[in-house]
Amino acid sequence: MIQLPSALQRFRFRSLKLRIAVAYAALSTAILAAILLLAGNGIARFGEDSASRDLAANARVFDEIIALRAQQMRGSADVLSRDFGFREAVATGDQATIESALVSLRERSRSHAAFVVGLDGTMTGSATAALPASNDLWDALDGGQDHGIIRIGDKLALAAASPIKVPDTIGWLVVAQPLDAAEMRRLAKLAAVDIDARVVRASQLPPALAGAPSGRVLESGDSERVLHHVTALPALQAGVRPRLVLDHSLSKALGEYSGLQWLLVALAGAGLTLIIVLSWRIARTITRPLSALDEATRRLGEGKDASVEVTSDDEIGRLGASFNVMVAAIAERERQITHVALHDGLTNLPNRKLFVEQLDQALARRRDEARLMVVYVDLDDFKVVNDTLGHPAGDALLRNVAKHLQAVLGDAIVARLGGDEFAILLSDLSATENLAALANKLQSCFDRPILIDGQQADASASMGIAVAPDDGLDGITLMKNADLALYRAKRDGKATYHFFEQSLDEQARHRRQMELDLRLAIRDGGFELYFQPLYSMHEERLKAFEALIRWPHADKGMISPVEFIPLAEETGLIVQIGEWVIREACRQAATWDGELSVAVNISPKQFLTPGLANIVLSALASSGLPANRLELEITESIFIANVEKTLETLHSLRALGVRIALDDFGTGYSSLSYLRSFPFDKLKIDQSFVRDLAQGGNANAVIRAITTLADALGMETLAEGVEDAAQAEILRQEGCHQIQGYLLSRPIDADAVHVFIAGMVAEPDQHRLSA
Amino acid sequence: MAFALGVPIAAVWAAAPASLQVQIVDERGLPVRDAVVELTPNGGWRGGAIRFAWKPAMAQKSVAFVPGTLIVARGSNVAFPNLDSVRHSVYSFSKAARFEIDLYGRDQTRSQAFPIAGTVALGCNIHDQMRGYIRVVDTPFAGKTDQNGIVRLSGMAAGGHQLTVWHARARTPGGELKRALAVGAGASSQKIALKLR
Repeated sequence: MIQLPSALQRFRFRSLKLRIAVAYAALSTAILAAILLLAGNGIARFGEDSASRDLAANARVFDEIIALRAQQMRGSADVLSRDFGFREAVATGDQATIESALVSLRERSRSHAAFVVGLDGTMTGSATAALPASNDLWDALDGGQDHGIIRIGDKLALAAASPIKVPDTIGWLVVAQPLDAAEMRRLAKLAAVDIDARVVRASQLPPALAGAPSGRVLESGDSERVLHHVTALPALQAGVRPRLVLDHSLSKALGEYSGLQWLLVALAGAGLTLIIVLSWRIARTITRPLSALDEATRRLGEGKDASVEVTSDDEIGRLGASFNVMVAAIAERERQITHVALHDGLTNLPNRKLFVEQLDQALARRRDEARLMVVYVDLDDFKVVNDTLGHPAGDALLRNVAKHLQAVLGDAIVARLGGDEFAILLSDLSATENLAALANKLQSCFDRPILIDGQQADASASMGIAVAPDDGLDGITLMKNADLALYRAKRDGKATYHFFEQSLDEQARHRRQMELDLRLAIRDGGFELYFQPLYSMHEERLKAFEALIRWPHADKGMISPVEFIPLAEETGLIVQIGEWVIREACRQAATWDGELSVAVNISPKQFLTPGLANIVLSALASSGLPANRLELEITESIFIANVEKTLETLHSLRALGVRIALDDFGTGYSSLSYLRSFPFDKLKIDQSFVRDLAQGGNANAVIRAITTLADALGMETLAEGVEDAAQAEILRQEGCHQIQGYLLSRPIDADAVHVFIAGMVAEPDQHRLSA
Repeated sequence: MAFALGVPIAAVWAAAPASLQVQIVDERGLPVRDAVVELTPNGGWRGGAIRFAWKPAMAQKSVAFVPGTLIVARGSNVAFPNLDSVRHSVYSFSKAARFEIDLYGRDQTRSQAFPIAGTVALGCNIHDQMRGYIRVVDTPFAGKTDQNGIVRLSGMAAGGHQLTVWHARARTPGGELKRALAVGAGASSQKIALKLR
C-alpha cells in the first residue's frame, strides 16, 4: 500500500509524448496478447477437435475399408460358390473336388483360409492354421451374415462368406484373411490421416480402453498425446468379440499447427513493432504542436517573435490560431505600453527616456566628421501663463509649441523632457555647418505670438546647446552640458541661446560643491550674523542694525552672500537659512539696548513659505524681543507671483506687530501701485541712487520725489550705501529720514555691535556725520 | 367344419371316415403357406397306387417354377413344360433325385421319374432365382397348406401315424418336422408351429 504511490510515480513520465505512446502501445499490446492467446488456444482446440473428427471420420472410413475388403473377398468366393461344378461337388459331397477347388481359390485370392461350412454342420476346407469349429460359425452364417471376424489359429482374421445354393443354400464358402500388423498397415494407408490400426479381441484391450464406449474418441498419454478410437467389428464366429482400435497421435497432428502458431507469434511481433512505431508517431503528431506552443510560449516570455505555424484546423490548430491572436494582442499592448512609457502623454512627443535612447543611437551612427546638436529649450514665462490663464491654457500652450516644433523642424527629433522643457536633437550635421545660424533659426521658431483661448501669450524660449563631438561624445554628457548652457542662457536674460562652454561645466561643479557645503553649514550652524547700523538723521541717533549673513568657510574663508544666496534661493535652502537668520537676529537684538531694532531680509522664496508668520512669532517669543523692534525687509519681486497672497501674508505679519520695509526701492519692476496696496513702514532707497548723488544731475530729484512720496504715504525713508558725509548731507536736505552705509560702519560681528553701541552712547555727537 | 366346407378328398372319400385338419404357423403365429403335410400310417402305406388330385407337372412360367411346391407319389413321372419364351434348364442335386435336363425351349416338355421319396430341390442353371420343390411321398394323405396355412387330410384309418411337415424354409434338418400322431375316428385338428428362416 505504501509502496504503490512511489511505484506509480516511477511511471509518471515527464513527457506527454512518451506517456501517450506507452499507454497506446500497452493497450494495443494487451489487446494483441489477448487475441494471440485466444487464437493460440483456438488453434490448439481446433487442432484437437480436428484430429478428433479426423479420427472419428477415419474410423468410419476404416469400417468401410474393412467392409469393402470383405466384399472383395466375398466376390472372389462368389465366383467359386456359384460355379455349377463346385456346387455339384458340394451337393454331392465330393470332398476331393471341393478341397482342390478350395486350394485353388486360396491361391487365387491370396487368402489364408478357404473352407466350406455345410448347412448340416460339416466342414471342409484348407487353412494355414487351425480353423474354428463349424458350430461357432453356423449361427452367424445361417443368420445371413456375409462377413465378420473369425479366429484362425491365434490370429483374428476377416472372413467373407458366400452361400452355396443348389438352389437352396446347402452351405457357405468362407474365405479368410488374417488381420495381422502388415495387413492393418496396408489398410491404414487407405485412410486419409496417419492412423495406427489394429484389431484385437475385447478381452485383450489395454485397461485404459477396456471400458471405452464404442465409436468414441479417447485421449491418453503423457509425453505423447494419442487419440484412440475403439469400434466393435462384426464377428462371424461365436465367442469372438473383435475390436478395431485406431490410434492417432495428437501430438503429431498438433505439430502441423505449430508452424501456424509460430507464424501467429511472428505476426504478433511484427504487429507489436508496428504498434510501437505508430504509437510513437501518433504521440508525436499530438505533442509536436504542443511542443511548438511550449517553445513559442517560452519565446513569448523572452519577448521574441512567438507566433506558431498553424497546420491543421482541429483543436490544436485552433489553439495555435488563438495563441497567435493572443501573441498579436500582447505585442500590440506592449507597443502601446512602450509608446506610453516612451512618450509624453500631453504632447505625444518622445519623453526623456526615448530621447536618451534616440540620442545614443544617433551618437552610435555618427560618422567621424559629422556633428550632432542637442538643444535644451525652456519656455521663458510658462509659469506666468499657467498662473494667469490656468493650467488648461498652459497645457494648450505646450501642445501648440510641440506641434509647431515638429512641423518646422521636420526630421529633427523633438522631445518633451518635462514641465516647459523641451529637447531637440539635430543629427548628421556636416563639419562646415554654421551652427550659430542654425541656433538662430531654432530661436526664431519661438519668436511668434500664440493665441490661447483668445488671449495672446508670449512663447519665447531660452535654449542651451551642446554639440558632439566637441562638447561630449556620450548622451549623458551632452545632455548635461546642454542643460548647463540652458541655465546660463536663462541667467543671461531670456529669449536667447547659449552654446556650451567648458567654463560652464566648472561653474556648475563649483555650484554643486557649494550646495553641499551649504547643507553642511545649515546642519552644523556654520553661519554668522553681521550687523550694519542704521542711523536716523532725523532723530540724530542710532536707530537699528540690519542683520547680514556671513559664511566663514573652513577652506575658502569668508564667502560673500552674493555668492551663496542665489544658490540657496535656487535650491530652496534659503528657507532654512532664513529661519535661522530670523531666530539669531531676534536673539542678538534682545541683548541690545532697549531702543534698538533689528532688520532682517526675507527672500521671496522664504516669503512664500506658509509658516513664515509662525516662525517669526516663535523667534520673538523665544528671544523675548518686542515685535516692534523687528523689521522685515522684503523686495518688490514678491508681488510678481500672486498679489493677493502676498498682501495676505504681509497683513498677517503686520498683525504680529513687526515693521515691514520695502527693500531696494526704485529698481526692478517698481510700481507705485504696491505702495498704495500696502502701508509699508519704510522704503529703502537703492544705493544706486545714492551713488549718483555726487555727480549731480537728476539723482537729487529722484531722491526728493521718493521722500516726498513716502512722506505723503506716511512711510519712513532710508538710503542705502551712504559712503561719505556729502551724500549724507544731500540726503538730509532732500528729506531722507535714515541712512545706512560705510559712512557709519561696515557690517560688524555681534561682539563689535556691543562696542559700537557703547561708543555711540559715549559719544552721542556724531562728528563723522557732520564731517 | 371341414366337411361343412365340402373340400373333396377324392381318393379316400368312402373308405376313411377319419379326417385331420392341420394348420401350420410360424414362430410369430402367422399362417405358413405351401407347407407340405404328410400323414403316414405306422408301418407304411399298403393301399396300392397313389394318385393325387393334381397333375404331376412343374411348369416354367414367367421365369419361375409353377407351382413352386409339388407333391407327387413315389415313382411318378413329372413333366416340366416350358411355357416361357426363354429357354430353361432343370437340375437337382438332391439325394432323392439327381438329374440335369439341358436347356430347352418354349412349349417343349421334358419329364423325369422320381423313384425315391424325399425332397427334390429344382433349379435352373441360368436363372439362379428360380426355385421349385417336388415332394416325393409314399402316402396318399398329403397336401399343401393354403394361404391360411391350413390343409385337410381325410380318409385315413384311425390309428398310429407319423406326421411329417416339410417346408422349403423350415429351420430343421432336411426341412422336415416329424412327429407321431394317433389319429382317431372323426375329425381332429392339429396346429403346428414351424421355425422358418
